[in-house]
Amino acid sequence: MLESFIVPLLAATVQSGTPILYATLGEILTEKGGILNLGVEGMMSMAAFVAFAVAYTTGNPWLAFICGGLAGTVMAMLHGFVCITCLGNQVVSGLALTILGVGLCNFLGTPFIGLAAPGFSKFAVPVLSSIPYLGKIFFRQDALVYFCYFIPFIFMIFMNRTRLGIAITAVGEKPGAAAAAGLKAVKLRWMALLGGGFLIGLGGAYLSLAYTHLWANGLAGGRGWIAVALVIFAFWRPGRAVFGAYLFGGVMAFQLRLQAIGTHIPSSLLLMLPYALTILVLIFSAVRGRGGNAPSHLGINIEPEG
Amino acid sequence: MRKLMIMVIVAAMSVMMATACFAGAKKDKIKVGFVYVSPVADAGYSYAQDQGRIAIDKLPYVESSFVESVAEGTDSERVVLNFARKGYDIIFGTSFGYMDPMVKISKKFPNVAFMHCSGFKTTPNMSNYFGRMYQARYLTGMVAGMMTKDNVIGYVAAFPIPEVIRGINAFALGAQAVNPKATVRVVWTKTWYNPALEKDAAISLLDMGADVIAQHQDSPGPQEAAQERGKYSIGYNSDMSKLAPKSHLTSAIWNWAPLFTNVVEQVRDGVWQGNESLWWGMDQGVVDISPFSSMVPKEVQDKVLAAKKEIKAGNNAIFVGPIKDQAGKVVVPAGQTMEDGKLLGMSWFVEGVVGNTE
Amino acid sequence: MLGYRLQKRDEPWSWGAPIIVVGALVLSLGISALLLKLQGKSAVEGLFVLWQGSFGASWALEDALLKSIPIFLCALGVATAFRMQVWNIGAEGQFALGAIGATWAALNFPDLPGYLLMPLMFFSAAVFGGFWAYIPAILRLKLKVNEIISTLMLNYIAILLLEYLVFGVWKDPKSYGFPVTPEFTGGAVIGQIGDSRLHWGFVVCIGAGLGMWAFMRFTRLGFDIKVAGEGQRVAMYSRLPYGKLTILVMAISGALAGWAGCIETSAVVNRLQPSIMVGYGYTAIVVAWLARLHPLYIAISAYLLAALRVGVENMQLELQIPAAFGSIMEGLILMSVLAGQMLVTYKIRRKK
Repeated sequence: MLESFIVPLLAATVQSGTPILYATLGEILTEKGGILNLGVEGMMSMAAFVAFAVAYTTGNPWLAFICGGLAGTVMAMLHGFVCITCLGNQVVSGLALTILGVGLCNFLGTPFIGLAAPGFSKFAVPVLSSIPYLGKIFFRQDALVYFCYFIPFIFMIFMNRTRLGIAITAVGEKPGAAAAAGLKAVKLRWMALLGGGFLIGLGGAYLSLAYTHLWANGLAGGRGWIAVALVIFAFWRPGRAVFGAYLFGGVMAFQLRLQAIGTHIPSSLLLMLPYALTILVLIFSAVRGRGGNAPSHLGINIEPEG
Repeated sequence: MRKLMIMVIVAAMSVMMATACFAGAKKDKIKVGFVYVSPVADAGYSYAQDQGRIAIDKLPYVESSFVESVAEGTDSERVVLNFARKGYDIIFGTSFGYMDPMVKISKKFPNVAFMHCSGFKTTPNMSNYFGRMYQARYLTGMVAGMMTKDNVIGYVAAFPIPEVIRGINAFALGAQAVNPKATVRVVWTKTWYNPALEKDAAISLLDMGADVIAQHQDSPGPQEAAQERGKYSIGYNSDMSKLAPKSHLTSAIWNWAPLFTNVVEQVRDGVWQGNESLWWGMDQGVVDISPFSSMVPKEVQDKVLAAKKEIKAGNNAIFVGPIKDQAGKVVVPAGQTMEDGKLLGMSWFVEGVVGNTE
Repeated sequence: MLGYRLQKRDEPWSWGAPIIVVGALVLSLGISALLLKLQGKSAVEGLFVLWQGSFGASWALEDALLKSIPIFLCALGVATAFRMQVWNIGAEGQFALGAIGATWAALNFPDLPGYLLMPLMFFSAAVFGGFWAYIPAILRLKLKVNEIISTLMLNYIAILLLEYLVFGVWKDPKSYGFPVTPEFTGGAVIGQIGDSRLHWGFVVCIGAGLGMWAFMRFTRLGFDIKVAGEGQRVAMYSRLPYGKLTILVMAISGALAGWAGCIETSAVVNRLQPSIMVGYGYTAIVVAWLARLHPLYIAISAYLLAALRVGVENMQLELQIPAAFGSIMEGLILMSVLAGQMLVTYKIRRKK
């Protein structure tokens, strides 16, 4: 049971949680600075396409991965132009970004459908992969998954221990006070937004470079929306984001396996599991008195003076 | 009695009038419109239909157009209507959910020929068409049955509708015909097209011990999963060998060109009629299997090709009794063949399939 | 930056809104035309065909009106919740539940005459949709569960619930196993208005729009909602029952989305099938915000968005332009309208 069911299940969990985790962390960074970005789905799609196109033309997957991140940044720039520069509504801008991103990558991506490009394959980390059970779960993945193990830690240190991270948090909470304290509120918002966009882009790039090695319409498949939801689920904390992303990925993998065993529960009900569980965990946290508030200036634009 | 007579005459006359609209009216130029449910670029089901469209578009007297990503419901009604308004002579609606809107509109445009794919309703100027994909499924099932070592075959499937269930059953029957111990495990994804999810579904089947993966999905996600694990895979829609060269054995493929060509020729000659159901099979070339990969041994190939010949000749209807359901109850008694009406509404799995149809 | 800065206008630019919309349209159509050029299609022809498809014929106008009905109702609903800063992005799920509610009534009382069955369907659609919105409302009030996440998750669950019903217990035995419910009986079908393709659901839209406008403008409750929209603290100081108001706006929101689901099922497909879910609930959010939550503007923007979508189909049909092109245009238009709205309240000044 353990060898044949649980270990493969958890290994699949790590993989299916990884793109969501990248995107969730990116969105946390964005929102910490006070910008609500509902364009994650469109950004991931676009990044997945750009990464694939770069991998196909240059043959260099690492370059492609970085370019995927940059595609996310460029998309975030559009959002920033509308919301930060032009003070547009963040909700609509984000939704429009999703519509635009999904459309654009389908439009541009047509010639790339059915092509093969180099990507990341799974390999065993020496020594670590021979740890019983854990080795099979965590250390027989691809390079981008290993890379992703470090990000929450870096993220935590960045947010809590560096001046820049603390300043970004301050801007998301009280831009007025932050500005009075000599912080450049608008500039910090831009940095959080673009940095977050880069992480979201990496999540998208993961989909076309490692999760699958192909380009196809709809590759993001709703993961961007899950990331938006998981930010709230995580109470804007990277640690809980890890938990949320793996939980969601794990339940999805679990229901597929329940089907593969041959259960008699209708598949529609099984597919509800990840969504229902997300709500249940939130309720459970709430009952235990846990909770977290959004950055208090989330979604509110900073108006220029004068 | 007289009333009845009048009614019969009126009915007969209206049928004649309906056919008269087409009969005799030869056309030099035919405009054909296609309505697809998904983007044609996806290399899936709509792509296969569009290949058929491209084939007839090359005919000198045909002019064609299409609208893709049309949702069933209001959108499809509007798009079909627009084709009719713009004077298209034939309208192909390629998704099941277009049926009711097409029935509605066909009544308003008696001079337009409506062709609906995969449904069951017809009108005097609307016929339906489909392909006996299950014949190709049966053959790919034979390949899988002979190539599996652990006797577990995984099948990633979209929605539990008759078309898909029929395919799975035929596949299982094919596998069992050559390997009585073969079982087919089914995972539903509830999506036609989601590459990453389909790949996950295939991985879950591989983890459960499947060593051949088949699919009724539009994306190559399952193929990739099989290739990564060093197992075998069987494709669908069009030849998927390029997408997973190390795992791909063969694909069950569509080839709509012969059927579409036949329809436009009939309309051109003024002999096309509604109220018909074209359910074409391998003998007319609408469905087929793609060339075998070099991994498939010669004797397997020969056996499958022999079976293909039998099917083409009409000697193997595939759903021939005795067929048991999952509970082991005989549903089709020995010697009987399931009729088309039953096949069209198939909603139960044959013995040897693991999974449920809900 | 760049030597320019924004300066707040003393009064909002009164002719700003229409000018900006036109300007934004010109800009985004220009970019779209460029994309067309890149594809080797004639840009002028493309835009002409788009215009023809959206506004060029009486049936085009009718088609767009028809398509805007569910978008309008959902947007009207979410706008009510947004007024109170309750972020209901669950119109999609509430739409599904409304469709389920209406179908439940239609399937269980097929023999009732239309004048009884129709109100019953609308009633149960409102109750089902309202209930689906009540869940996140109560979770937010009692447990502080963020409604963005709960409504989003409930959307997925609602669609799967609809599929479960249609693939299971409600499947029409005569449909050859296809996932559709039996066709509704005559009394359960919303009919067409005269000879047009427009159905009576359109009248429901007008009624709902006027009703919501009057409700927000003339009633005490409507006023309270607006006040409570200033924040929970303001509501507390004004001694408003914040919790009850939250539940009320969510219920209204859900009920309106539910009606949209009911109309779509009854008038358009005459039965329940999974394909009625095409994302109107999400479109509604865009429409509501673009219209600044005002019923009349919601009607206008719902109609324009529907017209754009209908027009894009015409481009596909005539010029074989891929469907994705439509999303690109929609995204561009939305973003440029949004960016341009700044000019209503701000002037661009050269830095001294």
